[in-house]
Amino acid sequence: MKNIFLFAFSMMLTVVLAQAQDLKLKVSPEKASMKIGQSLQLEAAVVDASGNKISDREFIFYSRNSRALDVVDTTGFAKAIKHGEHEVIVISPGSPQLRSSILVNVEPAAISKIAFGDVPAKVYTGINIPLTLDVTDEAGFERPEVPITLTTSDETKVAIAPFNKLIVKNAGTVTITASAGGKSENLKLEVIENPIAEIRLKSNMVEGRSGDVFTLTAMAVDKDGNEVKDAPIRYSFTGESFDVSAAPSGLITPEGKFVADEPGLYVLNATCGPAAASVTVQANNRNITRKIDLVGKGSVNNKHTSDLWIWEGIDGKDYAVTGTWGADGTAYFWDVTNPAGIELVDSVKVDARTVNDVKVSEDGKVAVISREGASNRKNGLVIIDVSNPRDAKIISEFSENLTGGVHNVFIYKNHVYALSAGRKYYSINIEDPKNPKIVGEFELDTPGHAIHDVWVHDGIAYSSNWTDGVQLVDVGNGIAGGTPSNPVQFASYAYPSGSNHAAFPYKDEKTGKFYVILGDEEFPYGLDPSGKKPSRAAGFLHVIDFTDLKNPKEVAWFQVPFAGSHNFWIEDNILYAAFYNGGVRVVDISGELLGDLNRQGREIAWIVPEDPDGFVPNAPFTWGAQPHKGHIFYSDWNSGLWSAKLQPVVPENAKIDSSK
Amino acid sequence: MKHSIFNAVRKGTLFLVALMGFSIVSTAQDYYVYVTAESEDEVALIKFDGKNATVEETIPVGIWPAEIEGPHGINISPDGKYWYLSLAHGNPYGTLYKFSTETNEVVDTVRLGLFPASLQVSKATGLLYCVNFDLHGDMVPSTVSVVDPEEMIEIHRIETGVMPHGSRISSDGLYHYSVGMMSGELFEISTTKLKVTRKLNLDGKEEEPAMGGMDHSKMDHSKMGRSMMTESATMYHSATKPTWAIPHPTNGKVYVAGNGSDEIIEVDLEKWEVTNRFKTGKAPYNCDVTPDGKYLVATYKGSGETGIWDLNKGKELPRIKNTRKVTHGVTISPDSKYAFISVEGIGGEPGTMDVIDIKNAKKVSSVDMGKQAGGIIFWKME
Repeated sequence: MKNIFLFAFSMMLTVVLAQAQDLKLKVSPEKASMKIGQSLQLEAAVVDASGNKISDREFIFYSRNSRALDVVDTTGFAKAIKHGEHEVIVISPGSPQLRSSILVNVEPAAISKIAFGDVPAKVYTGINIPLTLDVTDEAGFERPEVPITLTTSDETKVAIAPFNKLIVKNAGTVTITASAGGKSENLKLEVIENPIAEIRLKSNMVEGRSGDVFTLTAMAVDKDGNEVKDAPIRYSFTGESFDVSAAPSGLITPEGKFVADEPGLYVLNATCGPAAASVTVQANNRNITRKIDLVGKGSVNNKHTSDLWIWEGIDGKDYAVTGTWGADGTAYFWDVTNPAGIELVDSVKVDARTVNDVKVSEDGKVAVISREGASNRKNGLVIIDVSNPRDAKIISEFSENLTGGVHNVFIYKNHVYALSAGRKYYSINIEDPKNPKIVGEFELDTPGHAIHDVWVHDGIAYSSNWTDGVQLVDVGNGIAGGTPSNPVQFASYAYPSGSNHAAFPYKDEKTGKFYVILGDEEFPYGLDPSGKKPSRAAGFLHVIDFTDLKNPKEVAWFQVPFAGSHNFWIEDNILYAAFYNGGVRVVDISGELLGDLNRQGREIAWIVPEDPDGFVPNAPFTWGAQPHKGHIFYSDWNSGLWSAKLQPVVPENAKIDSSK
Repeated sequence: MKHSIFNAVRKGTLFLVALMGFSIVSTAQDYYVYVTAESEDEVALIKFDGKNATVEETIPVGIWPAEIEGPHGINISPDGKYWYLSLAHGNPYGTLYKFSTETNEVVDTVRLGLFPASLQVSKATGLLYCVNFDLHGDMVPSTVSVVDPEEMIEIHRIETGVMPHGSRISSDGLYHYSVGMMSGELFEISTTKLKVTRKLNLDGKEEEPAMGGMDHSKMDHSKMGRSMMTESATMYHSATKPTWAIPHPTNGKVYVAGNGSDEIIEVDLEKWEVTNRFKTGKAPYNCDVTPDGKYLVATYKGSGETGIWDLNKGKELPRIKNTRKVTHGVTISPDSKYAFISVEGIGGEPGTMDVIDIKNAKKVSSVDMGKQAGGIIFWKME
């Protein structure tokens, strides 16, 4: 009986497959050429082996690049938007399901415009001018791939150099012609004799340390000693490192600020055509490394630990709260009065899998913890009475508008600033902590906006918004008339990687500079294949000079290779930064900041929490760090809460123990 | 050979379907199921040998070790070669992953909308349809993403209701059914025409959702967003709060889990109207119908139980208590014998997959896995 079934099955299958194989999806045209703006009806048909059209078939068309070639999904009506080779996939649903494709070449539009970037109307002999050129076509698209040919009307006056550079030689009027795609554009230059006879160059100091910023002042003067204010002065440097095994290196800005990475002698140059001047400066060893000692540990080795907060309780003792991650919704309370004897004094368990963030009010009475992965999917936050941290008691739970999960929170002046599902944050009045009340919210309106963190200081909320960077929002400072119920954004800065995950403001009293340090979070290497060890993180800290709020500028960075930044804190010109795979890095950020802070020897100390008894043994994954009363407390994903002590500054000329 | 069998099935030949069923039943021993652990960022591949369920492999998913990315919806390609997984959380958009069933390694990814959730490949079009649940957005209509899984390109988005959820495709692959959890609607999408062909208000209202009849009492997800604070006149929260829709393989009906109204709602596809309402346990969440069409299995999230309904008699078999609280998803073996139930658990509890003998309405096995077991899909018998 079974054999009969199998025979029948085989026969049926053979017939079905033969029929199916005979059907073909024919498209018309197979290849097409279109002009931008043009429409074309694409056709498709299913035919049998004899070429007969099968009537009851439907078709779905789609363009692999719909922004360049728009195709209506079921009609095959195509409209060319942008030049290029595009593929349209055609599917005929049913049995058998058939697929084919049509190649469409959208011809580029003619070049319509070549635009020169800003060039001074009058240029001086002896200088080089880098040109910027933009080519646009009639469809409005920029066409950077179109080769540009530059020619000069008089090569003896202005010559053309590779990479669109002009070498200005002799005085006179010259026309530079840029040609691309059959279009030309002229730039008239009036070259005048370089009047600069001398450059008077000064540095604000001749001797400093690596990482110190030398500010140059260059004045170009003519033969009569008159200042030439529009002189295009270029800065450069050469150097000799004190260490023969290290190359001299540093950074000099177009504005004439120099910072040395390596201690050494550096010659700083200012040039303008044939006129040149230089000053020699010495960058000594920064010599700020200090010893750091592990002091204590509050071990959590049965689950992951998240963020921490240290505070002085109302009884004058010092306490910490730590969250847990991907676990059972527990927050731990610790007595850290004796950092060498960290004592677990209480815990609170809520309906959540992750308590990602923990914060305590300024008066030390109220804690707020965030919830993600609640079983009822309401998430939100939990407000806890910590006036006696040995008996922490839940005051209230709050989930209104926060059901998508709260990743980070902050408490500032009786308000909780709570993220809602990575899209926005709410300001929630907790004057009556039993009855929290939403009073305001802040959300960007950019496409695909997201948020990771919010930190409030001096009435300004600093939110980290990934690709939208940091947003400075007045929530009571007064700078922009904002209040908790009416947050007003007044400044922002975004950088290309789009990895902005945390932010911390810092004002250097000595220089008057106002910085906001922005931290990345990146995991470009993926998950550990075993699923057991922490991944290797990337990303670093970006130092943004916000002194001019309207024109923030990225001026410096701190990087620990293959470690990856996470949360950080600043106190007394020292940055305490947790790097996932790199432990806590203690960094001197005194003075003006410029360039690569790590290479400049600004790192004071580092300590890595490695715990053989950790949740994942010997796998540091440091979450955050906070200085408190002379100690550094830090939490680690795999091992819990730690404390360390940074030893006092070593007197000059004393021997440094570099072993740390 | 197996690939050819599935092609034959697509021809719709009843004889072949019956024969294939015979062939599989006569040889099958082991059942394989993929289950997501939403709060662990992993997927468990579980084998059930007829007596015991065991985790064969745990596959870590996502790219952010220090953020929960929330694997949510999961399904298998019609040829069984790939499994597809929606990772709900992103910055802000979620991602669809394509994995090989042979290696359980990532083949490709594509970014979708906000909080992509349940998904399925139509065997008619070969395209994948995934609801964008938009859990964390304002109370506005969201979409169903249409993806070509061969190229992993999102080719279209079709707007449906508020918080689209619980989607499944008809057995011929031509219609996609999903519900708007907060707008209380059932949507039918033509998988070939890529548009909504019909929608049905499950709250028993003929007019478009409006302020009248608001019922917040059963709401599980709070109102969200700026518009909710300032434009309360536009708020509508379905009392039915539908969370899943499953088309019956043969009887021309779609069954909807009324999570807010504690009922399974039967919708006649020809009449396009509600033709029956079965009172269930607390908060039915997901449901599935046995391939032989006899039984409907529903998860009761609120009571931690599984309900089995004899569809011919319209009666519920004795309820089965699940191993833990928060019963989530269900998938059924092709031989209609077993229902595999994902159970989330609470807090630090592990997630669990229960195996239920459908005919006898009994739990026959159980296995723990990562936290918050959610999305679940049957892979193969062998």
